[in-house]
Amino acid sequence: MHAEAKQHDFEPKIVAFVCTWCTYAGADLAGTSRMQYPANVRVLKFPCTGRIDPVFILRAFQKGADGVLVSGCHPGDCHYMAGNFHARRRFAAFRALLDFVGVDLHRLQFSWVSAAEGGKWVEVVTELTERVRAMGPMLEFKSLEHEEQWSAFQALADVPGVVNTPELKEAYDKI
Amino acid sequence: MNAKANKNQGSCIEPSYYQAVTKAIRTQAVQILKEGTVAGLVGYLPGRRKGTARPALITTPEEAEKLIFSPACVNNLSVYLTKSKKGVLKQGRIGIVAKGCDMRALAGLMGESQIKREDLFIIAVDCAGVYGSGAERSETVTEANIARKCLECSVHHPEGADFVAGSATDLSGLTPLEAEEMARIEALPQAERWAFWKEHFSRCIRCMACRQVCPFCYCEQCLCDKNRPQAVESSPRPAGNTAWHIVRAMHLAGRCGGCAECERVCPMDIPLNLLNRRMAKELKELYDYEAGLAPAEKGPLTQYREDDDQSFIK
Ligand code: SF4
Ligand code: SF4
Ligand code: SF4
Repeated sequence: MHAEAKQHDFEPKIVAFVCTWCTYAGADLAGTSRMQYPANVRVLKFPCTGRIDPVFILRAFQKGADGVLVSGCHPGDCHYMAGNFHARRRFAAFRALLDFVGVDLHRLQFSWVSAAEGGKWVEVVTELTERVRAMGPMLEFKSLEHEEQWSAFQALADVPGVVNTPELKEAYDKI
Repeated sequence: MNAKANKNQGSCIEPSYYQAVTKAIRTQAVQILKEGTVAGLVGYLPGRRKGTARPALITTPEEAEKLIFSPACVNNLSVYLTKSKKGVLKQGRIGIVAKGCDMRALAGLMGESQIKREDLFIIAVDCAGVYGSGAERSETVTEANIARKCLECSVHHPEGADFVAGSATDLSGLTPLEAEEMARIEALPQAERWAFWKEHFSRCIRCMACRQVCPFCYCEQCLCDKNRPQAVESSPRPAGNTAWHIVRAMHLAGRCGGCAECERVCPMDIPLNLLNRRMAKELKELYDYEAGLAPAEKGPLTQYREDDDQSFIK
């Protein structure tokens, strides 16, 4: 581990959906240039931002991400000509929908990072990680998942002594 | 028809108006079936219980004599012309009885190359509103029992149809309940919005009625049914339900015509049309797009401009 690395109480999980042509290469450049950025980010590579379905973002949140980054080529630089223009509209609409449903948009970041912008990649990732760290864990979607696992027991909760035992309660609270 | 007689002033619409529309539809339907303009016609027949109506495919002039239009004609018949209800269109040119909001769906389906205008004979209804949920089917339509979508309908004078039954309905001056509800939710703090939708979504039983009834949900395989890999859990549990509702609203953004059929059929009374309307509002604000009466080759999310807003992107 890097000598200056600090200890934090909470390490957020950040999932980054990036396009292979620009942002992935940009992140690669940051790496080969030995720039430091938070190890919290898990990079997933896609052919194009146009391939990044909003459902991936939902899935990431459901499965435990505290923050999500979507990043691709600058407008006009798309390897497939217009993929990022389409993605831009789709994500503008998707943000509005998430907002209406009550998701905090500070956990969701979009950016354009080119293959030459290793520095910008570091900046974007660091900023998002620190912001999400300050916000704490994303509980909304995770609590839905937990309810899902718990609901089968809850259905029997009225039946005394069957499954609603203190041990199970305790186990559940630990999840 | 005298314009004043059709005014819905929160009191009632004359039942005679619906009778006149029924008569006009019958005459026109009989004529086009006799002349062979259409091979068949999708319209409404009386339901088995008094005051109800049911969708039907009509192929003979005799049957066409039984067609009706009443406030119980709530269904959006355009769903019968889509891929998901295979077969109806195979029979050549087809007639369809459509209210204004149904015509939006027809226009959308034309824009998405699902149906061709020349394959249709549209008998439009200058619409005075239909029953809302729970309305007693013997009553006249009033502001109290009219469908919520009709309270803020802007398309009840249909345009671009082959024939229009009825005329000069007036639906002005009604309280826009949906717009008010949407504004109320938008004004809530974020956590309360989440709580509001969480409660609603958690009740969903995943019967998929909202999908089956929607004219735009014609995908042969719905993303939400896929399980290798699975995108959205298919069991009626909180996580999968939330994902389903977000995906549904997203897939219909820029396409939904606002017929509110999804909300009408939902057995759990989930306010689906609020999500639809919120997306429609956003796309209007961002890209000045409105699902309208004219078929558009491209929707707001299948096109782009180089100078689209990107203030949310770093
Ligand atoms: S929304 Fe408009 S066109 Fe549709 S049923 Fe209501 S009044 Fe008629
Ligand atoms: S989403 Fe609902 S309101 Fe929109 S077109 Fe489909 S059924 Fe109609
Ligand atoms: S109709 Fe209602 S209960 Fe059924 S899947 Fe749709 S939202 Fe859920």
